[in-house]
Amino acid sequence: MYCVAVRWTRHYDEIVSEDDMSMTRPRRATAWRAFTVGLLVVVAMALFGEPAMASPQEADPEYRTLPFVSSRVVMWIIAELHLMFAAFVLAVPMFAVIIEYIGYKTGDKRFDQLAYDFTKLLSVSFSFTATLGALLTFALIVLYPALTKYLVKIFSWTFLPYVLLFFFEAVFLYAYYYGWGKFSPRVHLFLGIMLNLVGTAIMFIANAWLTFMNTPSGIDEMGNLTSLWDAINNYIWMPINIHRLIANMAFGGAIGAAYGAYKFLGAKTLKEKAHYDWMGYIGIFIAICALLPLPFAGYWLGVEIYAYDQSLGITLMGGTFSWLFIVQAVLIGNLFLAANYYLWLSMGRIAGAERYRHLIKYLLAVITLCFIVWATPHSLVATVEEARAMGGSHHPILNVLGVMSAKNTAVNLLILTTYVSFLLYRRANKEATVSWAKTGNLVQFGIFAVVVIFVVFLGVLGYFVDAQTRIGLSQPQVYSVLFAMVSVTVIDIFLFRGANTRGSIEWGKIPARAQYALFFLAITFAWLMGLMGYVRAGMRQHWHVYGVIRDTSVDAFTPTLGFAGMIVSITVIIFFLFIAVVFYLTGLAGKKNYEAPEKSGRRRFRRAKKANTQVPAGSAAPDAS
Amino acid sequence: MKHALSIFAFTILVSAFYWYVSLWVPQKRTEPPEDIAIGQNLSTEEMVAIGEEIVAGKGTCLTCHTMGESGTGLRFPDLGNIGALAGSRVEGQTDVYYLAASMYDPNEYVVPGFVAGMPAVARPPIALTDDEILTVIAYLQSLGGTPTVTMATELQWQGQNEGTAQAAATVAAGANRDGETLFTAYLCNTCHTLDGTPLAGPSLQGVGERLSQAELYESVLNPDATVTEGFAPGVMGALLTATGFHEQVSAQELQSLIEYLSGL
Amino acid sequence: MNLLPLLLIVALLVAIRFATVRWLPLNRLAWLAIWWVAIYAGLATGIDPPLPSSIIVLFMAIVSLALVAYLSADSDELTSAIKAVNTFIVEPRFRIGLIIVAVAVPALTAFKVYSDLSSPPQPPSSGRTIHPPPPASINVSGQTVNLATATNPYRELEHSDQAAFAEHVANGRRIYFENCFYCHGDNMQGAGMFAHGYDPIPANFNDPTTIAMLQESYLFWRIAKGAPGLPSESTPWSSAMPAWEEFLTDEEMWDVIIFLYEFTGYEPRAQGMPH
Repeated sequence: MYCVAVRWTRHYDEIVSEDDMSMTRPRRATAWRAFTVGLLVVVAMALFGEPAMASPQEADPEYRTLPFVSSRVVMWIIAELHLMFAAFVLAVPMFAVIIEYIGYKTGDKRFDQLAYDFTKLLSVSFSFTATLGALLTFALIVLYPALTKYLVKIFSWTFLPYVLLFFFEAVFLYAYYYGWGKFSPRVHLFLGIMLNLVGTAIMFIANAWLTFMNTPSGIDEMGNLTSLWDAINNYIWMPINIHRLIANMAFGGAIGAAYGAYKFLGAKTLKEKAHYDWMGYIGIFIAICALLPLPFAGYWLGVEIYAYDQSLGITLMGGTFSWLFIVQAVLIGNLFLAANYYLWLSMGRIAGAERYRHLIKYLLAVITLCFIVWATPHSLVATVEEARAMGGSHHPILNVLGVMSAKNTAVNLLILTTYVSFLLYRRANKEATVSWAKTGNLVQFGIFAVVVIFVVFLGVLGYFVDAQTRIGLSQPQVYSVLFAMVSVTVIDIFLFRGANTRGSIEWGKIPARAQYALFFLAITFAWLMGLMGYVRAGMRQHWHVYGVIRDTSVDAFTPTLGFAGMIVSITVIIFFLFIAVVFYLTGLAGKKNYEAPEKSGRRRFRRAKKANTQVPAGSAAPDAS
Repeated sequence: MKHALSIFAFTILVSAFYWYVSLWVPQKRTEPPEDIAIGQNLSTEEMVAIGEEIVAGKGTCLTCHTMGESGTGLRFPDLGNIGALAGSRVEGQTDVYYLAASMYDPNEYVVPGFVAGMPAVARPPIALTDDEILTVIAYLQSLGGTPTVTMATELQWQGQNEGTAQAAATVAAGANRDGETLFTAYLCNTCHTLDGTPLAGPSLQGVGERLSQAELYESVLNPDATVTEGFAPGVMGALLTATGFHEQVSAQELQSLIEYLSGL
Repeated sequence: MNLLPLLLIVALLVAIRFATVRWLPLNRLAWLAIWWVAIYAGLATGIDPPLPSSIIVLFMAIVSLALVAYLSADSDELTSAIKAVNTFIVEPRFRIGLIIVAVAVPALTAFKVYSDLSSPPQPPSSGRTIHPPPPASINVSGQTVNLATATNPYRELEHSDQAAFAEHVANGRRIYFENCFYCHGDNMQGAGMFAHGYDPIPANFNDPTTIAMLQESYLFWRIAKGAPGLPSESTPWSSAMPAWEEFLTDEEMWDVIIFLYEFTGYEPRAQGMPH
């Protein structure tokens, strides 16, 4: 088997090197045949890893190039697309199972239907993910042979479990999807949980490869493997695992919400509108819930990067990339703004919500203020004259806003404000009837007031203590915000037990721009992911494997943020084109069957069939809950 | 269909907006640190290209030599047509040998009409490596001729400078050399004599009586501030910059050099 | 802060508010426009020293986004705002106002172009990196110092031997006033007698974002290698900081670092902690 692989590789070198000399059309066809052949090579190497690579006579080139585009950009786009699809495919089963479980526990058919709606998106996405993954491996082998060879040498033994798990993933995924309603709920839930476990394990293995490139461990000075486990369990492996798990959830929720929005905008009947309005709401609810703990996972990741190598950390946070975090602040500020905006618009479908309308402007003021604080850069762009007026490169007032203390406080207040928006949304149509309603409200307000004062106090205190203590202050801030959200929610649940309603939630009664807000959130999430993918890879600078394998290609430089932004934008647009295909293909299942037009007898049959299939059972409009 | 299209337009719009944000922040492209490693299998064109870079940069050749200028005012031979001339400068020697000799041992052959004064570029501070000298030869040959030299060409001087380059580097790091040593170590003597004969620069005979210490500091650190009549401004400054004098000299060394000069 | 303009803006807002309640009810669109102008005026005039224009642009972009969100978060208000704009464009009684707007927009643009072009030419604004990543290790007086792990060898004396520590502080003080104070100033605010000739101006050690957030090894690198040791993104050619390893011993450099922290009252950042 491995001889075959070697022969193919050789064959392939010839093709590619000839191609470099003269890229004519017939040759291109040969190259594309080689692409297919390469897929076989991938499989062969994945299975038989090491031996296939170790052929001493072979003088492999370190890099190969493509005409017109740089290899790096090609790798970049393919990897990012693969990552986005993988994130989506891993995230959907997570909340599908949770929603299904809620449906199982409450006996509410709507949840079961919703979980199925999300799962329907999976099968096409799964194939896309696998194809993009193969393309990625292939591109690695063709364009970066030396690097690939090294990584294969280190990680050869992880490929077998990876492939096996992938196989199981396929089995569980299709069993979960096609087996909907065919198994007892418990068995079906078990399938869903297995799907999640296998998917998570796959991601963990793949994460080992890429985190190794950032913080290589388990190797000696010459780059030879000393401990495979150390190479896998490198400094940032676990932080990345956790960070991605949560981020996938947020991303998957946002794409699910986008699907709801897409269906909503195309819906003909009020019933459909109601269902997909609800789907979009649930999707974005999941996304925002997952978004809230993400900064803390990111913080842990940062700590580990510093622990591995300080200059890697400073390159990330203090060097050229410090501006990237201003762009990130703009993206996350937009996320919060759009999420709140969606909630405010959603209040339009609830009778009684008008009582809280006047509060929106205050919430908005807080959000804007926090957004501004978060987006204030630490090093300013200023002309010489402006700098002289400021007395240096730092502005005495902005300086106060540009540091960690202010930004942590701003983020915590943003989270709290979004929570208040949600709380208002929740109680929009309710009127408490319990005897202690007034006291309850006061207590809730008191908790908010105390926590806000406490968070701001800690933020201000941060300016007067040493760095060590200052870093420690971010924890009580987080805990107090969490405490406020949990305790207020608990009080709220009891407060509105048996409450009078002023009317039900009229699902589907929401302006189209709210659905565009959902798209805006999905695009922003995707863009954010692309940007952070760029910085994770970019902080290695001119290294493939930091400190071990140097990038000696023409693309060794770190591009400007503007260039990176362009690539991320292109990737995001391609991703949404793919997603459009996924949405379209998924929608086909609900379409009526094809009929030859001239046979009138069958048309009657079709009409009968249409009546059967048009609206899936159980998708009745959900009402207030 | 209509809403699908408007969603797509919206996607492009939002992506473009974020791209704009990323363009709004300062743009900085970080280049990887440069390696001057010269491989063993360079093509002739590559050798010429690298050689050209060294001639203009590290080799500091253009500080004294001109390219394609003629006339009588030249201090050093013009290199514009050196590829064609090199073979015939000295009877019975190939152009490669002649060019190599001019770099390893510049005063062996001095073009008639010029004063000997070129430093051996294989030695510190210019300290070109053997490989670098081969690329420079390739470049010089290409000026009016065809390069025949390859990276495999063997020259009789190769290998002999490694020890000295090392030694010079360690001495430079170790400070505490007296002014007289420094005067030659930094190649001041290439252009300045101590016996009254002007070379590329004025003689320094009795310079200590003519100039105060402050003026001496100034003449070394900013040579163009005052230029002795009859000498071209810019030459010494360029030469010092090119040889990396200001980066190499330490404060103590500078002090002892000035003390030495003021005692002349 | 410039209190006077800020107060004036607030007073104007209040005045408009009462005036409109009385005589001329404004719709939300008009209110948002007034708010936009008020915030812009506040940012542009109310803060001293003035904010760099890049920051004002950033802040106003965020404010604009928020205001648009606010307007469209309420369907009724949005409809009435759109209706008001329609009325303004269509109805003859607003013809004069429409003409004024139609003229004012290009006129304002032209004025902006004119004022930009007539201001004296300036070097382009630079995004100089103030605290660049340090190299992994540096070579000082023949020894390799690993910046990730290096600590101040005299720092431990602070707890073990107060008297010896005080000596190091005193020595650091002497060195500071012999060498550093000409630029960094007698109270370390970066305003020494030579400071005004430099761009960038010398670091202000009282600023909580300078030495307070850096490790001692980082300071050692900056002092020993000075401007020539900066990477290109920090424009080593424009900084005037000398490489002090030429003039000071290692001990003297560590002492002066101790003095910097003693004088400003900051603690150095511990090894291995992120920003």
